[in-house]
Amino acid sequence: MSPPVKLIGAFGSPAVHRAEAALRLKGVPYELILEDLENKSELLLKSNPIHKKVPVLLHGDRTVCESLVILEYIDETFDGPPLLPADPYDRSMARFWAHFIDHKCAKPFMLSMWSEGETQKESMKESKENLAFLEEQLIKRKKRFFGGDSIGYLDIAACGMAYWLGVIQESAGVSLASGEEFPALRRWAEEYTSDEAIKPCLPDRDKLLTHYVANIDKYRLMVKAPPA
Amino acid sequence: MATAGGEVTCVDFWANGFGMRARIALRELGVAFRYVEEDLRSGDRSELVRRMNPVHRSIPILIHGGRPVCGSVNILEYVDETWGNDGGPRLLPRDPLQRAHARFWADFVDQKVFSTQTRFLKSKGAEKEAAKEELLDQLRRLEEVLGDKTFLAGDEFGFLDAVLIPFSSMFHGYEQHGGFSLETECPSLMRWVRRCKERDSVKSVLPDEDEMYELHKKWYGISE
Repeated sequence: MSPPVKLIGAFGSPAVHRAEAALRLKGVPYELILEDLENKSELLLKSNPIHKKVPVLLHGDRTVCESLVILEYIDETFDGPPLLPADPYDRSMARFWAHFIDHKCAKPFMLSMWSEGETQKESMKESKENLAFLEEQLIKRKKRFFGGDSIGYLDIAACGMAYWLGVIQESAGVSLASGEEFPALRRWAEEYTSDEAIKPCLPDRDKLLTHYVANIDKYRLMVKAPPA
Repeated sequence: MATAGGEVTCVDFWANGFGMRARIALRELGVAFRYVEEDLRSGDRSELVRRMNPVHRSIPILIHGGRPVCGSVNILEYVDETWGNDGGPRLLPRDPLQRAHARFWADFVDQKVFSTQTRFLKSKGAEKEAAKEELLDQLRRLEEVLGDKTFLAGDEFGFLDAVLIPFSSMFHGYEQHGGFSLETECPSLMRWVRRCKERDSVKSVLPDEDEMYELHKKWYGISE
């Protein structure tokens, strides 16, 4: 029998959701340990001394950090529907776009929401270009999900687009795109967030919105700071 | 061996550390490939790069049977999955936990070490000193990962070694720039560097360290 699985997480984190989504899709039971990120536990600091971030997967005495690394570990370790495609080229495309989301989309999106003036304007333009790339990828696949007929690695990696994007835009009063734009992404977001395995590990929308509204000054300050 | 699925091309620049990873991996697995040089010193990217990597317009790009694979770590995984087979060498460990650790540390190198070394090379005064200390800390952290193993993930040269070893071509530059000796600061890491450099794949790909530093001095406007 497989050793117990625990996940160190925090409310509202899309990275944590990724890990939960993967575990649920594989049918792996887990215990969620919720952190207060303003007051990190000994367990978190000991389990992820390098980054001190969530999620951290604890599988028996094994520790895995970084959400995309966790996704691949879950896929390789547990039975259940595969998250990554079988073909190496398709796998490389899934990894490419997941990396794109984390490294090219995240920062311009945050600046779109929380900066001002010229920076905000340019960031919004860049964010829309990024969304257009993803829209194109979805249309190319002609399927319900990036992963095909069922949810896969890239759908999970793109969860921020499916759920958090809307909430954060509402909290900041900034709209990246009109109702007509990016129809494939909108349809996909609806499919993803209403999936039976995914729904239970999405944070409550009202609570998430409140969270983003309450912390907006902090985020506005954060985007002003020079990069680490 | 190893051109199943079509011709293999690697688009890269001789001094690109990320590209060195891809070229080392291809050689490690005995994959014949055509090397196309993209001169990063020119401001514009070639039509080939813009067509094969429209999203980032960066190199390295692996083109296999006409289809591009972009992102150095992504390329390593692709090379391993396409040409690494049960009979021969593999780049990534077999065990899922060891694979996760290799991927974690590769991400650490890209997220932390690369940006720190860039900041170290570009900055002056107090900022440079701070970046220097951070860089040394990170290299020591990687030394801990190495421990008393031969290579970063075990007995065999692999993915994580390919990820880090290109940085060693800048070690001479770091020493000149920072006024320290890596033999003193990270002796076991330096032994690992020498072990890696005994391999044909690494020897044939890593550039001359003086040339690397000269080029970076120009790029970053470093004056002695």
